[in-house]
Amino acid sequence: MIEAQHLTKRYGPRTAVDGMTFTVRPGRVTGFLGPNGAGKSTTMRMVVGLDRPTSGRVTVNGAPYARHRAPLGEVGVLLDAKAVHPGRSARAHLRALAATHGIGDARVDEVVELAGLGAVAHVRAGRFSLGMGQRLGIAAALLGDPATLVLDEPVNGLDPEGVLWVRTLLRALAAEGRTVLLSSHLMSEMALTADHLVVVGRGRVVADAPVADVVARAGTAAVRVRTPEAARLAAALVRDPALRVVSTAADTLEVSGADAPALAAAAAGIGVVLHELAPVQASLEDAYLQLTGGEVEYRAAAPGTPTTPGASR
Amino acid sequence: MTATALPRPRVHPVTFARLVRSEHLKLRTLRSTWWTLALAVAVLPLMAVMRTTSVAAIADEADPAYLVGPVYVTSGVMLAQLVLCGLAVVAVTAEYRTGQVRSTLTAAPTRLPVLGAQLLVVVVTALVTGVVGVLAAWAAAAPLLGEARMTVDLTQPEHLRIMAGVPLYLAAVAAFAYGVGAALRSSAAGIASVLGLVFVVEPAFAYLPSEALQRLGAYLPTAAGSRLLTSDVLGSVVSGSRDTTLGPWAGYGVLLAWAALAVGVAAVLLRRRDV
Repeated sequence: MIEAQHLTKRYGPRTAVDGMTFTVRPGRVTGFLGPNGAGKSTTMRMVVGLDRPTSGRVTVNGAPYARHRAPLGEVGVLLDAKAVHPGRSARAHLRALAATHGIGDARVDEVVELAGLGAVAHVRAGRFSLGMGQRLGIAAALLGDPATLVLDEPVNGLDPEGVLWVRTLLRALAAEGRTVLLSSHLMSEMALTADHLVVVGRGRVVADAPVADVVARAGTAAVRVRTPEAARLAAALVRDPALRVVSTAADTLEVSGADAPALAAAAAGIGVVLHELAPVQASLEDAYLQLTGGEVEYRAAAPGTPTTPGASR
Repeated sequence: MTATALPRPRVHPVTFARLVRSEHLKLRTLRSTWWTLALAVAVLPLMAVMRTTSVAAIADEADPAYLVGPVYVTSGVMLAQLVLCGLAVVAVTAEYRTGQVRSTLTAAPTRLPVLGAQLLVVVVTALVTGVVGVLAAWAAAAPLLGEARMTVDLTQPEHLRIMAGVPLYLAAVAAFAYGVGAALRSSAAGIASVLGLVFVVEPAFAYLPSEALQRLGAYLPTAAGSRLLTSDVLGSVVSGSRDTTLGPWAGYGVLLAWAALAVGVAAVLLRRRDV
């Protein structure tokens, strides 16, 4: 269990994390999703006490990370950047970490095998590929058999087999009742791995809900309407302030804010013939873009324009 | 293939002893450590043989008062300290350069015990290296001492002080270098600072136009600390100085104070800074 309350981190004038409040619960995989620079890594560093919050607090399994007497037994961490001396072998790196908690060599060998590093355990970490480095990082995170795992971009650099391995492993760890928080900007991966999402943008939490809800919220939002009289229909629909009408082609509108029967009725009311009427299934990708569209640092245009010029003329 | 298919591992609280074991493991699992230590040990007998041989060539004309065996036998300290300072600085700065420090500090989030454990490992390593090195130097130079009309006689207080001073001095100067490295967090800056101080700043004090400032030079880290290795008659092999403003142990105390200051600054910064 990870609980963040009004967590804030400023670097000089720049606010990396801006009053984040969220709870990561055990028994499920929680995805920490956001564009680059949204504050994911900074938040994870604050969880394990590498960065000090400017204000607010974060606890892991009920206490600040540094208060735990055996922190590796509480939280396993994989941070985005490499955290290994390149001159030391994988096994030596793990043994040194294990020694701080009196963890025996048998467990070191277990996690080496678990991470699929058996053949390269004695190779210096500096020679590792990015994927092997990630496997070493995951091995280190599992060393103390922690109840909570915090993994920053764990599939970054892994081959397809490795990606599948991480996904299976994380789902299994959550199924055992552990708390799993993983960050990623790969939405397709999140859709397959996570149960719950904390979506962040510009240092703020913009959504904290089950994956299905996040998708549903975006998914029920639009209906595609094809008609030869698109302009006339759009003109009629925009009078309702609850509707959003976007013209996607000369004869096609995408309408959000009303379902298909309501739109069919509206069209019939003004005598417009419909050629197609279909709900648009949004993907997690759409949901994500919709949530973070207003939160990315450098965006092209203001969001939330109710209609396009073509539809409102 | 899940984590639970395996028996639950035993995980114990982090203690200082466990951190020391971890840091010791970290130091000895790097190849560069062994090369560095071999070099630090080797320069002592090498310099001892060279200096004793050159004394042997002029021993007949020399004033016997100037033929202080231990001074020549320990003359490699100058080079050994250079090597060990490098090791001490890099032991901590490489953690920051490689990102290893994030692993280290997530395992020990209270931070300060890590500083203490690394310091202890570095100091003990320098101490042991010094003992091995000075014994090797003595053994290597022993066959030549007679010809050079010198002795190393540990029953003489000055001889004992200089010989035992080698490991003590190397340990203290390594602690100082470690503290500087830990405060600066950069290999280049750390090594440049320590070696710049020892080889440029400290010697430069001897050329200052003011006598008061020159005397101040005696309180700088290696000038002060090397008093432990200085023959009262012959002067120091480390700094080349014959300054006796400070007594041998007072000088060593001053070096320890410098080391404590450097480590203290590093500790304050470690508490405050993000990693």
